[in-house]
Amino acid sequence: MSNAATFDTRTEANIPVESPLAYSYHRSGAPAPSAKSRVILRERPFLGHLVLRGGAIVLDEAVRAVLGFGLPARPNTLSQSEDGARSIQWLSPDEWLLIVPGGEEFELEGALRNALGDAHYAIVNVSGGQTLLELSGEKARELLMKSTPSDVHPEAFPVGKGVTAVFAKANLILRRPAENRWELVLRRSFADYCYRWLLDAGAEYAIGVEK
Amino acid sequence: MSKSLEQPNRLKEGGRIDRSRKLDFTFNGQRYQGHAGDTLASALLANGVDIVNRSFKYSRPRGIVAAGAEEPNALVQLGSTEAVQVPNVRATQQALFDGLVARSTNGWPNVQRDVMSLVGKLGGRFMPPGFYYKTFMAPASMWMTYEKYIRKGAGLGRSPMEPDPDSYDHLNRHCDLLVIGAGPAGLAAALTAARSGARVILADEQEEMGGSLLDSRELLDQQPAAKWVERVLAELAGLDNVTLLPRTTANGYHDHHFVTLHERRTEHLGETAPLVDGHRSVRSRMHRVRAGQVLLATGAHERPLVYANNDVPGNLLAGAVSTYIRRYGVVPGNKLVLSTSNDHAYRAALDWVEAGREVVAIVDARTNPQGDWIDAAKAKGIRIITGSAVIEAKGEKRVSAARVAKIDLGAFKVTGQAETLACDTIASSGGYSPVIHLASHTGARPTWNEEILGFVPGLVKGVHAAGSARGIHDLAAGLADGVAMAAQALEALGQSAKAVELPQVDARREGPACALYQVPHEKPTLRAPKQFVDLQNDVTAGGIELATREGFESIEHVKRYTAMGFGTDQGKLGNINGMAIAARCLNKSIPEVGTTVFRPNYTPVTFGAIAGRHCRDLFDPERYTALHQWHVEHGAEFEDVGQWKRPWYFPQVRPDAANGERESMAEAVARECRAVREKVGILDASTLGKIDIQGPDAREFLGRIYTNKWEKLAVGKCRYGLMCKDDGMVTDDGVTSCLADNHFLMTTTTGGAAAVLEWLELWHQTEWPELNVTFTSVTDHWATMTITGPEARNLLAEITDIDLDRDAFKFMEWRAGKVAGVPARVFRISFTGELTYEINVQANYAMHVWKTLFEHGDKYGLTPYGTETMHVLRAEKGFIIVGQDTDGSVTPEDLGMQWCVGYDKPFSWIGKRALTRSDTRRTDRKQLVGLKPKDPKVVLEEGAQIVFDPKHAIPMPMAGHVTSSYYSPTLDSGFALAVVKGGQQKMGETVYLPMADGQVHEAEIVSPIFVDPKGERQNV
Repeated sequence: MSNAATFDTRTEANIPVESPLAYSYHRSGAPAPSAKSRVILRERPFLGHLVLRGGAIVLDEAVRAVLGFGLPARPNTLSQSEDGARSIQWLSPDEWLLIVPGGEEFELEGALRNALGDAHYAIVNVSGGQTLLELSGEKARELLMKSTPSDVHPEAFPVGKGVTAVFAKANLILRRPAENRWELVLRRSFADYCYRWLLDAGAEYAIGVEK
Repeated sequence: MSKSLEQPNRLKEGGRIDRSRKLDFTFNGQRYQGHAGDTLASALLANGVDIVNRSFKYSRPRGIVAAGAEEPNALVQLGSTEAVQVPNVRATQQALFDGLVARSTNGWPNVQRDVMSLVGKLGGRFMPPGFYYKTFMAPASMWMTYEKYIRKGAGLGRSPMEPDPDSYDHLNRHCDLLVIGAGPAGLAAALTAARSGARVILADEQEEMGGSLLDSRELLDQQPAAKWVERVLAELAGLDNVTLLPRTTANGYHDHHFVTLHERRTEHLGETAPLVDGHRSVRSRMHRVRAGQVLLATGAHERPLVYANNDVPGNLLAGAVSTYIRRYGVVPGNKLVLSTSNDHAYRAALDWVEAGREVVAIVDARTNPQGDWIDAAKAKGIRIITGSAVIEAKGEKRVSAARVAKIDLGAFKVTGQAETLACDTIASSGGYSPVIHLASHTGARPTWNEEILGFVPGLVKGVHAAGSARGIHDLAAGLADGVAMAAQALEALGQSAKAVELPQVDARREGPACALYQVPHEKPTLRAPKQFVDLQNDVTAGGIELATREGFESIEHVKRYTAMGFGTDQGKLGNINGMAIAARCLNKSIPEVGTTVFRPNYTPVTFGAIAGRHCRDLFDPERYTALHQWHVEHGAEFEDVGQWKRPWYFPQVRPDAANGERESMAEAVARECRAVREKVGILDASTLGKIDIQGPDAREFLGRIYTNKWEKLAVGKCRYGLMCKDDGMVTDDGVTSCLADNHFLMTTTTGGAAAVLEWLELWHQTEWPELNVTFTSVTDHWATMTITGPEARNLLAEITDIDLDRDAFKFMEWRAGKVAGVPARVFRISFTGELTYEINVQANYAMHVWKTLFEHGDKYGLTPYGTETMHVLRAEKGFIIVGQDTDGSVTPEDLGMQWCVGYDKPFSWIGKRALTRSDTRRTDRKQLVGLKPKDPKVVLEEGAQIVFDPKHAIPMPMAGHVTSSYYSPTLDSGFALAVVKGGQQKMGETVYLPMADGQVHEAEIVSPIFVDPKGERQNV
């Protein structure tokens, strides 16, 4: 759809940026990973996050043309580029979350808008409002069990699944892009709460934070 | 070793305890010793401790009765220090650990000499059921006084007064089949489901899994039953699809097979959880299980017989006697009389004799009992008295004798001369009640089964019961039932069960039990010595009879009148007996009387496990803006707005203070207000809700959802919008800007952001799906910094490339450009009435932009301000805050905001029709006005009621109330916004505000706009 205002909110200028966890590291610290750490947490800040709204068929075609892979075929799953650097996650029947390396999102939005032409759709850049945390380690799954009522058993949560989940008393997107890696996509304003929750619940697994 | 450290009742061998590990513990100040594997109860019995408590109401000495969750008397307070106090622990469920310190829950000053027992003795006859209601409730005002002393005497345990050193948490689990109870049926069921590949959770409340098999006389495959338990548990432990949870009580069965399991992880190790790798492990954990199917293998509770003085220490359940002997190697006495209505209880006498102690007699209520264990008892030379029962126990602090007599079950009469048998222990068994508590939690009503003389659980879809839990008490049949019920549950899941070979159980001949609950006495129930039904709540057979005589016929009324089955007990031991007694008194059958509802929790759960990690600073999410750290470092006081932490005000160190003293809130707010009106202030407005709206029908949608018009709003312009619910009442407001023809950015109140987004989706999805429009929250994406005041333009001009000329960038417009080198959208809108720019940048850059503003702001007097100053400034301008000046009963017209209503919009909008109702057309509705106190020093109380005539007789007609009120440094006066009946037509009139302290404030009704009524300052 034409007649939407696109706006590149990112600058290439040498300007200090702060991840949503900047204050959390400052206040709560970040325990270094050790040999005893059975859960490792790593933030992947400053990625490009775009929300796609619209019909699945037109969006799928456009995404395929621009990115080379399509929308996930089923609800509560994600599709990824071959190298795993780009992903699309189903959020609701007409809503997907596209995550790409930081800095790609504005050009990508433009390319998608070109490909979509007059179709009814919306693309919204939410990169500043979200961050992504990775969890790995042998106790990552148990840590998630402490935090979310979603079933994270391998049978119920295979690789490629992604859901919007209750997490402690917040909401986030929980996904499993690889066998031994979980991702939490969370809103900036809840990041500190979730981080403190993870440190507290992960303390018995000697959780380490990779920076 | 001193005498007190010997264990006179401990057998030389036998039991599942570890005799090589001795554990010291303290009970009521006295030191004792037990073994690893003991419960506190078994260790107390081993040491010959008879009295463990005083009863709740009559303060009678009480001893241990049971060996499990149904124990009514042995409630103890644990903890050697204040911080680790735990009330209401059943000694029968508390594993012994070295250094354990316990005290009786009741009994003041101590259980041996209890002052309340005097009241109990003297008052026995004078404390019928309903006693507290009848006596102490009048006069009602005195109840508080009575209660203090009654509670102190009665005692119900106490909570710690210091912070708990331990941590607790929750763990969410999912499974195909949840099996509750690891006795014979539960183990067979779990094994069946596990071998079939289902995800299985097996939970059991005891220290060891195995249930009745741990103290059974019966052999499985010609071996002690515990051997089979070991084999099965080893197999289950080796399977990935099985989770074993010992020491875990299913405390509540909630909707949709959501079951909470309370796991006591370290309670058996010490008062506090041990340190592992320097980290204190979790003491107690709540497993929140969402199960596909649930199988209840919760077993049965033995019913005691109800005879006179059946509460004297030394009266035990027959099964408990066997458990203490066989599982713990403890014989709780020397001379036993067993009173029974069934064969199974004979095992207590057999175990007692085999332990080398004397069985005085078995008293069987049946006239001609026949069975293998009866023969075994005869073979051991035990005297069996048939057609009889123990009708009364003798003794005060310990049983000294049993009075035994022939009874007529049908006529409820003693028919023969009573014989007194000297003994120190009376074991009784009136049959077995399936544990139906969890099934009851689901709301399903149990049904009476005459064959087993007990209630069997009602089962909702997806719930199965197996073994004793549904009245199948025979061991072989119970094992088979576990397999069958697991297969049934698997079938419901669409899975098929693999065959499980069950161990061989030798057939045992057993005769039928007879129905015996309350035992008759020579005297009528109300004259006989007390016959206790509910030991924990001191409910007697006489009390139930009296309740029925006083007209309480429904069992639910009897329960409430007598307190039977209340509290932590939940009727485990007494309820069925109580119902049987009520049935006898009412001349009804037990199923006609029915049962009361058992409620969660099955046994008490510590609050820590309920709260989990949701406590202290993780109690509720705190949402922070990207600038939070700056606010903290600059001494902000914070206000909670929804879950957000917003700076409330920024108190500074007083210039004249030597000791670093900071400004009061009033001083800080006055300074901040002056800075905005005279120079420039800055507010972190990031918390305002922001919704990105795209689509060719976005404009049409806005026109329907807002009260005002949107069709002509040009790109680059902003407009204030008011939102009503369909009842015409204001529900939210905010500025929406046109970013492109088909693209808008809506702002909402901070607290309303999520609700507004849902509101938009609701109307779009249910009423107007044909509109091509989407809504996406961008609240977190943008950080918003509001600079406001006469110097705002000069400040911003230093760091932006946007043309700020007053004609190039007018009030209610927005521009894109760079601020401090960062891409920004700047909105020229105002909530203070001053020249204002709201700078929006991607949140990750916010701190840089904010700091850059301060680098340039000094010379302009840039001052950070918080929500309090924002409130004062907006109120001076008569700008409402939805939720403060409105309360869901205020229309746009009540607010005098007709200018914001598009009466002639072509398509109806939400709330339009409601504004033409006769009620919303009334001229005497409460309307928003300003109030100017006659005394400028007065700041009216928010919420204060307004009257027109303070001399009117009470009750005075209320004319309205104050909604916002502050001191204004600009006006140097208090001022307020208020809603007053017909207020818009009453400008200049005087109203009165009578206060609680007798003062009456006077105020004049004025326009709600106090500062700059023409709005010139924001337009400069």
